[in-house]
Amino acid sequence: MDLVDQIEGRRFVGREFLLWLWFETEIFEATLETKEHGAFGLWVGSRIGLSDRKESTVIKGAAPGAHREAKEALLRGKMPDTMGFTLSREDGDARFVLKGETLGLVGLVLPTVLGDGAEEEATTLAKPPPKKKGRDRDRAREEEAEADEAAEAFYERMQLAKTIEDILEALFRDFTALRLSDAWSRGVMPKLEAWAAGEDVDVDGYRAVRAAHATTKKKSK
Amino acid sequence: MPVDDAQGRTCYERSVALLRGSLTYARYFVAGELPDDFRDRFMRSIRHRVMKPLEPDDQDLERSGWCQVGDGNGLELAYSDVFWNEYINLGMRTDRWAIPGAMLRAKLKEAEAALLEKQGRERLSRKEKSELKEFVARRLRHKLTPQSRVVDLSWAVNEGVVRFFSHSPKAAANLAELFGRTFKAFGLELVPESPHTLRARLGLTKSEESAWKSLESLVLAREET
Repeated sequence: MDLVDQIEGRRFVGREFLLWLWFETEIFEATLETKEHGAFGLWVGSRIGLSDRKESTVIKGAAPGAHREAKEALLRGKMPDTMGFTLSREDGDARFVLKGETLGLVGLVLPTVLGDGAEEEATTLAKPPPKKKGRDRDRAREEEAEADEAAEAFYERMQLAKTIEDILEALFRDFTALRLSDAWSRGVMPKLEAWAAGEDVDVDGYRAVRAAHATTKKKSK
Repeated sequence: MPVDDAQGRTCYERSVALLRGSLTYARYFVAGELPDDFRDRFMRSIRHRVMKPLEPDDQDLERSGWCQVGDGNGLELAYSDVFWNEYINLGMRTDRWAIPGAMLRAKLKEAEAALLEKQGRERLSRKEKSELKEFVARRLRHKLTPQSRVVDLSWAVNEGVVRFFSHSPKAAANLAELFGRTFKAFGLELVPESPHTLRARLGLTKSEESAWKSLESLVLAREET
């Protein structure tokens, strides 16, 4: 099987990842953690898109996961394809929509400091500063300083984006480790089904499965 | 969105995605080792693939090439335009001729009628019609400007990650082609992010690899759809 076929054949895992994130953010009351990042806030916000081969449903609002329609769609066979999240850490909140099949990010709003309203810097940076000529030198220096500030804003944004990506990668790693384990069918699926049906979930039992599994995971690059 | 200035040239709003506002992007991974002195070699290769704007008489109806990040008119790339410390930042400009169908049909009808009258004939062969259509389309292209679009990308060289600021499949196909033309000679390949590629990068044990291959999608449905 070539790479393209492998990519296409496993896109559904991204949808299941969204489902699992939705499940965990609800049962763990919007506080998740990864080994590398510790605890952080993560909750479903703004929108959930669900679809099957025939039709799609988009649920918008402050807590779209809480809509009865959302879980009903799951029980009718739809799976999430896009999901909006808020990720809250000490350095601020980030909001984004995650696409399940590509793991692409849409509308990522970062808790930036330097990039806010930096329209002038953006314009300056897009062109190299003009060459210095006589009395224009001061102006050129000023523009260079603005370009430097804009460059700093760019580096900050990329660094923050990478942090979000790293957290999502760590969550994806935890999800797939669980999904590929024997514990999935015995310890996770029944709880996922109960949750989707609006029944009580044995959170402590799930936490134990998750913790037991987390201690055994060992990955090689 | 590009707009036309007073002289009818296409102007572009300057870099937005990279510097302010929200970020919408797809991730790609660059497979392969960076060559020694890659900066100079990349710069030469990028300059060879700088966007050459479409002209009405060109054979191509669509073309992509590199430009300055966020500036489709920035076609002279200096080293400092491209290399921002450990990042390679570029714009991918794509020009495309898009002649409105109704306009083409109307002009073609006119031209066909004129030709038939001039030659005293009643109909044209299929080949003649095809040639006439190409002639009319070329003449219309002289009166129009191509549609032009710029999508930025930022390649974090140390991470081997390319962030491409579009989710459009067409733009992704253009990127794959342009990136290949520019960097394939260095043994580099652009791999789109997906659940499969991410899981492969994170690593799988033997048992996980076996489970991954036989994995089937979960079913929560409780009733027939």
